[in-house]
Amino acid sequence: MTLLLECRKLKRTGIIPAFLAGGLLSAAVPIINMAARSSSYTSLSGDPLTILLDSNWQMMAMLNILTLICTSCMMYHSEYADNGIQKMDVLPVRPFGMFLGKTFITALSLAMMILLEMASFALCMDHWFSGSDASSAIFAIPGASGTDFPVSGVSDSGASFAGLAFSLLKAGGFQFLILLPTALLMLLIASACRNIWISLGIGVICVFALMILPQDSLILNLIPFHTPYLTFPAVLQEEQIAPFLFACTAETLLFAFAESLFLKVRRCFS
Amino acid sequence: MNRTNIIETQHLTKSYGDFTAVSDLNLHIRRGSVYGFLGPNGAGKSTTMKMLLGLTRPTGGIFQIDGKSYPRDRVAILREIGSFIEAPAFYGNLTGEENLDLIRRILGLPKSSVEEALDLVGLTQFRKRMARKYSLGMKQRLGLAGALIGRPPILILDEPTNGLDPVGIHEIRTLIRSLPKRYDCTVLVSSHLLPEVELMADDIGILNHGRLLFEGTTDELKQEALSSGLPADNLEEAFLAMIDEDNRRPEEAPGRRTDRRTERQTDRTDPASARKRRTTGGERK
Amino acid sequence: MKFSALAGVELKKLRRSKILLILAAPVILMWIPSVFNSASSLSPSVSITPENNFFIQGFMGMSWFMIPATLVICTVLLQQTERADHGILKMLSLPVSTVKLCLAKFLVLILLALIQMVLSVAAYYLSAYAASQLQDCSFLLSPAYVIPCVAALYAGAVPMAAVFWMIGTLITSPVFSAGIGLASVVPSVLFINTKIWFLYPMSYPFYLLMIRYGRVSPDVYGSQIDWLPWLPAAVLITVAAVAVSCLRFGAAERR
Repeated sequence: MTLLLECRKLKRTGIIPAFLAGGLLSAAVPIINMAARSSSYTSLSGDPLTILLDSNWQMMAMLNILTLICTSCMMYHSEYADNGIQKMDVLPVRPFGMFLGKTFITALSLAMMILLEMASFALCMDHWFSGSDASSAIFAIPGASGTDFPVSGVSDSGASFAGLAFSLLKAGGFQFLILLPTALLMLLIASACRNIWISLGIGVICVFALMILPQDSLILNLIPFHTPYLTFPAVLQEEQIAPFLFACTAETLLFAFAESLFLKVRRCFS
Repeated sequence: MNRTNIIETQHLTKSYGDFTAVSDLNLHIRRGSVYGFLGPNGAGKSTTMKMLLGLTRPTGGIFQIDGKSYPRDRVAILREIGSFIEAPAFYGNLTGEENLDLIRRILGLPKSSVEEALDLVGLTQFRKRMARKYSLGMKQRLGLAGALIGRPPILILDEPTNGLDPVGIHEIRTLIRSLPKRYDCTVLVSSHLLPEVELMADDIGILNHGRLLFEGTTDELKQEALSSGLPADNLEEAFLAMIDEDNRRPEEAPGRRTDRRTERQTDRTDPASARKRRTTGGERK
Repeated sequence: MKFSALAGVELKKLRRSKILLILAAPVILMWIPSVFNSASSLSPSVSITPENNFFIQGFMGMSWFMIPATLVICTVLLQQTERADHGILKMLSLPVSTVKLCLAKFLVLILLALIQMVLSVAAYYLSAYAASQLQDCSFLLSPAYVIPCVAALYAGAVPMAAVFWMIGTLITSPVFSAGIGLASVVPSVLFINTKIWFLYPMSYPFYLLMIRYGRVSPDVYGSQIDWLPWLPAAVLITVAAVAVSCLRFGAAERR
C-alpha cells in the first residue's frame, strides 16, 4: 500500500527516466572506451571481465552514485517542495514506511542500472574479446577457485553462454550489494534536509572527496560513497567477499535503523 | 488607436493546447482611469495581464499600450509599466530595501525613490528584514512597492489585496484609488470581489472563462442589470447571476456568441458607443 | 541601462547566498589531503621532481572534477536565485533586454570561477608551504610558473561554463540540470585520451593540466597543445552555447 503510494508519487518527477538515463550513460562508458582504445585492452592478458571492470568501473560507479544522489534528492524534494510531507505526517501512514518504499524503489532501479551495465559488458566481451585468445579466459577469473566458477573447462558454446551470464550476474550482484549502504545513507541525508541544495551539496562533496581515498585498506573500503568503486574480481583476489557482503548488509541495516531513529526525534527539533 | 485609451486589445486570445484561457478579448482602458478587472478564479485575468507585460505570448490578436505594440516595443512598453503579478516576485535572500534597490538601478531612478516606495506601502520599518522572512501581507506590500517605484504612467496590479488584513486592504484600496490623481497614471487592477472593484474602479471589465461579459462603468453595469432583469440594487448579486448564467450556457454556445460579437464590433465604429458595450448582449433573458 | 550596472545588480542578488563557501569548500577539500599525502610526492612513480609532482597531483582533482562541479553548482544556484521566489518574473517585467540579462548572469558565473581561481592559488601556496615544513623539502614553485598555469586552467573552463549555463537555461528542473552537468564531468578522463577530446569542453582544463604534466614528466602525456582543431572548436562551442542560452533565457517563464 505504502509502496503503491510511493510509486504513484513518482509520476512526472522524472525519477525513473533519470535512473534509466544514468544506467544507459554508464553502460555506454565501456562501449565508448573499447571503441576508442580497443587495441590497448584486447592486448592485455587475463580475463576480459576483469579488464573491463578495471578500466571502466571507476567511472561507472561514479555515474551510479551521481544518479543515486540526484534521484534521492529529487524524491525528498518532491515531498518538501510544496509541503507534501507535512500532509503525509498528519495522515495515518507510517513515515518509516515511506522511507522503506523509497528505498525499495531506489534499490530496484539501481538493480536495473547494474543489469544494463552488465549487459554492456557482455556486449563488449562478445564484440572485442571473442575473437582473441582471451575468449577461453572468460571463466578463468584470477583467484577464482573451481568451486566459484564451475563452468571452467566447458567448451560448448551454449554452456559457455550460461557461464558468461552466471559470472556477469555474480559480479553484478556483488556491485549491487556494495552500492546499497551508499543508497541508504543518501536517502537518509535527503530525508533529513528540507533544502535540496544542502543534500545535493553533501552528496556531491562526499563523492568527490571520498573518491581519492586509497583502495588498499579494508576499513576505508567500507566507507559509503567509497565502497562502490571496488570491483568484484579485486575483492575476490583479496578473498574478502564474505566479510564485505556481511559488512555492507550490516551498514544497510544500520542506516535504516538510523532513519527510524531520526524520524522519532525529528519532531523534537522542528 | 483611440487616443483616450491607453491600453487597447483586439481579439486577444491565449490557448494552452486545447484549453483556451483567454478568448477573443477586446479591452479598452481609458487614460487616467482605474480599470477594475473582475472575474472568478481562473477566468483568465492573470493570463491577460501577463500577455500585456510580455510574460506570455498571445496565440491570437494584438494589443497596443500607449501606441506601442508587442513584441516590437517590449522594452519601451515595460519602461512605462509598473507591475505586480500573481504571487509576489522577489529575491528571498535580499532585504525588502535591497530588492527595491535592484529594481531602482535597472530603471535608473534616484536613490530617494526606494524610500518613497517603501513609505507608500508602509514597509519602512521592515526594510532591513530579509524578504524570505516577510509575512504574506508584507510580501504583498513589497510587490506593490516594486510596482509603484518610480511612478510609472501605467500600473498593472493582479489581485493586490490578496493576503492582506482588513486594515491593509482598506489602506491599499485607498492608495490605488488615489493614484491617478496623485501620480497622473492609469491603473489596471484585477480582483475576484465586485465590492472591492466597485470601491476602486472607474470602469469595470467582467471576465469569465476567458470571455469578456461586460465592459463599462459601474452605473452602466447597474443599468445593464436592470434591463436584463438582474438584481440592480445589489451589484454583487448581479455579478454572480451574470457569471452563473454564463456558466450554465451550453457548450456549443461560444461559437454562436463569437459571431454575434463580431457583428457588434463592426458597428462599434463611433467612439461614443465604443465606451458602452455588452459583449454577450441581449440573449441573456 | 549599462551592461556593467546590470552585472553589478546581478552580483548584488548573490548576497547571503553563501556562494563563497561553495567556492572555498572544494579548494580546501582538495588541498588538505595533499598536505598529508605530501610524503608520497617525494617518491613519485614517474620521473618528476617532488615540487612539480605536488603541484600536478593537487591540481589534478581540481581540473578533473572540482572546477566543473563548482561551475555546475554555481550555475544552478544562479538560476535558482531567479526561480525560487519568482524573481525572474519581476526581471522580465522590467525594461531590460533578456539577452543583456543573460549575458550579465553568465559574466557573474565567470567571475565566480575567477574568485575560485584566486582561492586555489592561495590554497596551493599555503599547503605547499605546510608540506615543505612537514617533509623538510621545498614544494614551492615560482608564482611566475603557477599563476599562468592556473589561469590557463580556468580560461580553459570558460567553454565548459558556457555549456553548463546553456544546460541550466534549457532545463528548468534544478536537479536534472545539476545531474546532467555532474554526469558530463565523469567521462572527461576518457575523452582526453581520444582524438576528439577537443569536442568535449568538460575535458579542457584536465587536458591543459595533462599537457603541463607531460612537460615536467616526459612520456606521461603529450607536451604540445594541439591548438588547431581545439581553438576554433572551443570558440564555436562557447559562442553557440551562449547564443542558445541568450535566446532561451526566461522562455519557460514566458510560456
